Amino acid sequence: MEAAVAPVVRGLRVGCQRLRYGSGSERKWSLQSKQTSFRSCSTGMTLDNINKPAIDRIIRVDHAGEYGANRIYAGQMAVLGRTTVGPVIQQMWDQEKDHLKKFNELMVTFRVRPTVLLPFWNVAGFALGAGTALLGKEGAMACTVAVEESISEHYNNQIRTLMEEDPEKYKELLQIIKKFRDDELEHHDVGLDHNAELAPAYSLLKTAIQIGCKAAIFLSERI
Amino acid sequence: MEEFHSWDAKAVVRYPLYPAQRAFQASALLRRVSDEQKQEPPPSSSQQRFESHPPGDQPDQEPQRSHHSYTDQGGEESEDYESEEQLQQRILTASLEFVPTHGWTADAIAEGAKSLGLSVAAAGMFHNDGSELILHFVSQCNSELSNLLEEQQKLVQLGQAEKKKTDQFLRDAVEARLRMLIPYIEKWPQAVSILLLPHNIPSSLNLLTSMVDDMWHYAGDQSTDINWYTRRTVLAGIYNTTELVMMQDSSPDFEETWHFLENRIADAMKMGHTAKQVQSTGEALVQGLMGAAVTIKNLAGLNQRR
Repeated sequence: MEAAVAPVVRGLRVGCQRLRYGSGSERKWSLQSKQTSFRSCSTGMTLDNINKPAIDRIIRVDHAGEYGANRIYAGQMAVLGRTTVGPVIQQMWDQEKDHLKKFNELMVTFRVRPTVLLPFWNVAGFALGAGTALLGKEGAMACTVAVEESISEHYNNQIRTLMEEDPEKYKELLQIIKKFRDDELEHHDVGLDHNAELAPAYSLLKTAIQIGCKAAIFLSERI
Repeated sequence: MEEFHSWDAKAVVRYPLYPAQRAFQASALLRRVSDEQKQEPPPSSSQQRFESHPPGDQPDQEPQRSHHSYTDQGGEESEDYESEEQLQQRILTASLEFVPTHGWTADAIAEGAKSLGLSVAAAGMFHNDGSELILHFVSQCNSELSNLLEEQQKLVQLGQAEKKKTDQFLRDAVEARLRMLIPYIEKWPQAVSILLLPHNIPSSLNLLTSMVDDMWHYAGDQSTDINWYTRRTVLAGIYNTTELVMMQDSSPDFEETWHFLENRIADAMKMGHTAKQVQSTGEALVQGLMGAAVTIKNLAGLNQRR
C-alpha cells in the first residue's frame, strides 16, 4: 500500500510546486489534474499545467503589442488613408486586427491581466502612426519597418523561451506566435518595398522608434 | 520573474505571499495526512472523493467544528511524515473554533494546538498578532467561494440551472462570501484591523484581488481592456463597504446588509450604463463636428482635390 501511495504523493507534491503560480479556481483543479496526469503525461496547455507567470507575461505583452500596432496603423490610415498606399496600409491593419482578436481570446482563456498601460498605448500608438505619416508615405513605411522589426525580434525571443521550457506543452502557442512572427516579417518587407529607406532621417527615426518599442515591451510585461 | 526555486516553508510562515495557493495545497495535503488512521483507499477512489466532497467521511480527528472547512478530500496516503507546513495548517484550522471566544489571537491558536493534542507552545510557531490565523481563514473562505461558483457554473453548463444576470450573480456571490463571516462576526473588526497592518497588506491585498478576479471570472467577464481593472476595483469597493456595513448590522439575518449590497450593485450597474451612454453621445458629437467641418470646407471651396 505504501508503494502504491508514494508515487501519487510525489505526483501531488510535483503538482503543489506548480500550484504556487495559480490563483482562483485553477488552484483546486491542479490537484485533480495532477492525479490523472501522473498516469499519462499531460500534453497541451491547460490552466493548471502551465508556467503561469511566464505565460502571463507573454500573453500580456503580446496583447499590448498587437493593440499598439493596431493603433499605429489606425493613425497612419487617418493621414494617408486616401492616398495610393492606403490599401497597403489597410491590408496590414486588417492582419493586425486578426492578431489582436486572437490574443483577446488567449487572454480570456488563461485569465491573464491586461496591462494597465493600455490607454497610454492607445494614444501613443495613434500619435506615432499619424506623426510618421505626416512625414509622408515613406515616413509611414519607415515606422512600419521599425516596429515590425522590433516585434519580430520580440516574438523570436518568446519562441526561444517557450522552446526551452517545453515545446510539446506549448505547441499551440508556439504555432500562433510563429505565424504572427511570419506575418510581421512580411509587413516589414512590404515596408521596405515601399521605399521606407527614403524617409527623412531614416536611421534616426528607425532607432528612436525601436528604442520606444523596447521600452514598451519592458513595461507591458511588468505593469 | 518571481520564480520560487525551492519550497521555502519559512517564507510561507512569515510572509505568505501566495497564501491562497500555499494554504490550499498545504491544507489539502493535510487532509490526506489527517486520515492516517484510516484505511487507505486506492488512488482512483480517492479521486472520486475530490469530486464528491463527502463531508460524512471526515474522521473525527479534528474536534467538532461548527463552521465550514475545506471540502474534505479523503485521505489517500498514510505516510506518517507530515511537514511543518501541514502541521501549521492543521493547527490553524483547529484554532478557528476557538476564535469566537478568544478572538484572533495567539490564545486561540494555543487552544487549537491543545485540541489537537499538541503542546500549547506550538502557538509559538506563529506571529503574536494572529495574522496567520486570519489569513488562513480568509484564503479558506476564498477557496470555498471558488468551489461554490465552480459548482454553480457546472450546473448551468449541464442545463440544470438558469444562467443568472450579472448583477444578481455578483450579489449572490458577495452575499455567499460574506455569510462565511457570520460565525466570527463579533471578532471580525479585530481581524480587519490586523489585516490592515503594513506587514499584512501585501497578503491581504493579494487575497482580495484574487477573490474579486474569481467572482468576475465566473460572472462571465471577458474584458481585455481597462474595463478589466475598473470592474474589479468597483467590485472590491462594493465588497469592502458591504463588509463594513455588516459589522455594524444588527438586523435579523443581516437584512440591511443585503439591502445595502443590492443598492451598491445597482449603482455600479447604472454607472456602467451611464459611462456607455456618455461614450456614444461623445462619438455622435464628434461625427457631428466632423460633418460640420467638411460642410464648411466645401462652402469655402477648400475641399478641392489637387
